[in-house]
Amino acid sequence: MSSSLPLFAKVARDTWPGLVGWAAAIAGTTLVYLPLHRSFGDASIAQVIESMPQALIKALNYDLMASGPGYVQATIYGLLGFAFLTIAAVGWGGQAVGGDEEAGRLELTLAHAVSRSRVVLERALAMTLKVIILAGVTLALVLALNGPSDLGIDVGNALETSVIFAALALLPGTMALCVGAWTGRRVPALVAGAAVAVLGYTLNALGNQDDNLEWMHTLSPYHWAYGNQPLINGVDWGGFALLAGLSALLVALAVVGLNRRDVSV
Amino acid sequence: MTLPTSSGDYAVETRGLVKRFGRTVALAGIDLAIPTGCVFGVIGPNGAGKTTLMRLLLDIIRPTSGEIRVLDVSPRAGGSDLRSRIGFLPGELHLQSGLTARRLLNDFASISGPVEPGRIDELAATLGLDLDERVRRLSKGNKQKLSLIQAFMHRPRLLVLDEPTSGLDPLVQQQFQAMAREATANGQTIFLSSHVLSEVQDAADSVAILRQGSVVKTATVAELRESAVRHARIVTVGLSETEVALRVAGIPGVGRLDTRRLSPGPETRPETRPGTRPGTGAGTGAETGAETGPVIECRATLSGAVGAVGPFVAAVAGLPLQDLVIEEPNLEEAVLTLYAESDTEPPTEPPTSDRAGHV
Repeated sequence: MSSSLPLFAKVARDTWPGLVGWAAAIAGTTLVYLPLHRSFGDASIAQVIESMPQALIKALNYDLMASGPGYVQATIYGLLGFAFLTIAAVGWGGQAVGGDEEAGRLELTLAHAVSRSRVVLERALAMTLKVIILAGVTLALVLALNGPSDLGIDVGNALETSVIFAALALLPGTMALCVGAWTGRRVPALVAGAAVAVLGYTLNALGNQDDNLEWMHTLSPYHWAYGNQPLINGVDWGGFALLAGLSALLVALAVVGLNRRDVSV
Repeated sequence: MTLPTSSGDYAVETRGLVKRFGRTVALAGIDLAIPTGCVFGVIGPNGAGKTTLMRLLLDIIRPTSGEIRVLDVSPRAGGSDLRSRIGFLPGELHLQSGLTARRLLNDFASISGPVEPGRIDELAATLGLDLDERVRRLSKGNKQKLSLIQAFMHRPRLLVLDEPTSGLDPLVQQQFQAMAREATANGQTIFLSSHVLSEVQDAADSVAILRQGSVVKTATVAELRESAVRHARIVTVGLSETEVALRVAGIPGVGRLDTRRLSPGPETRPETRPGTRPGTGAGTGAETGAETGPVIECRATLSGAVGAVGPFVAAVAGLPLQDLVIEEPNLEEAVLTLYAESDTEPPTEPPTSDRAGHV
């Protein structure tokens, strides 16, 4: 009861089943996809890719599919894992303030001996930690399958990729948290969070198409994270700083937003 | 306007407190001073601003203008430290449903003022709440008990209770009264609300009557009772309706006179056997005059009750009475009268419930 982070502890206790569910989803996907790389063999995957339209290949980052790191980047970190982790983060971010307030529960929490800043910060911390745990689960599975599935991934690059993977998913999560803190509504929070993820992905996919659209990469958080092909080349720390900095800014804005308005009206 | 600082005499003080939601005026300038250690009730119809007032004290919402001091500090400046010394029971309960009552209460304990070990079990036993039941399976009354426990468990200096007895059965309401008495005996202050006076009159020392965002009247319950209307009823035998009405109508403080003939008198005597006539059930046994004339029932109100009772009794003492009843003063009616009186000044912007919250 005498926790120094009571709200964080409460989120952890209340939401671990959801976290386990997301971990299972990510683990299942990873366990299905990574061994496929070996059974297909590099040549057959290359054939599949050759039969696909060029624009689709570029959009999905499948041009690097032939290598183990390229395959894992394209399927897990770039697509399915990214989708799962982003959806989880946006859900948690939207619930943290906006959803809790809309359900009428934030009022009684704030009537207790906690400041509004504390509510935002502890719940942002809980969201961050959960995202890191899921990225860690992904990393553990990738490393476990690295040898058996012949992926040839450098362990250091895998570690760095997981860091930026978490940072990329946290940005839409903190956006949802921030919009929830300003509006006290869940749906606008979820929409804003999802918009960050979808726009980032879309701008990256369009920027991949040709040189005239490449400028779109500069606006895409997805490209800040993955433009450098981190599983092959290591992380571009400038991109990481941009993602982490924006997330921190959004959490700070969430603190400001919740502190300056009436709650539950 | 600056309120005197650190008076210590008042647990809650507001001056010129205004709260608007958009164009809706929820509170139109409230001046309140709630003495430390008393039970202060605020009553008013739905939408009067009771919940808005309470939320302002807890800094859940902020005033549009005016001043608030709670335990000698403004709610905004007092922050979480101030709220550790307040217990709040919200008017509309939204609790996490998947947890047990015990888990939820422990969670609240982790963010409230310090709670003594065993305190939650003690309160649950007093109120009769099964702490191991999941919240979603609790009835409305049991959820209200849970809410009362989280408000009382850290023995806060100020309790802000929005409709605390709603949904509770009479037995538990008595338990609540006992908890309230114990709290005030400890020097704690209780600020509670209700839309009906009967729920506050037993617990509260003073009452503020709130209507459309303004305090219509502040009074002690005793003062309200004194000023309240009493209902009187007499039954006479042998006088005509007019005779009875004339005798009663002239008494000061008597109003809303209503006489009617319960039994027509000698002409139709066969149908009205003594002792079975309506209105004579509580008769004195002195039925001797019953056959001598019509039975008349007369109902009236005695206002300014204490002053009117004496002259009324004196005036009717000489009548051939079969029954005399003077009821307890009806405080509810007194309050409704106050609501109605202020109806003559309709506010420019009546509050609407959806913007003003659960008022």
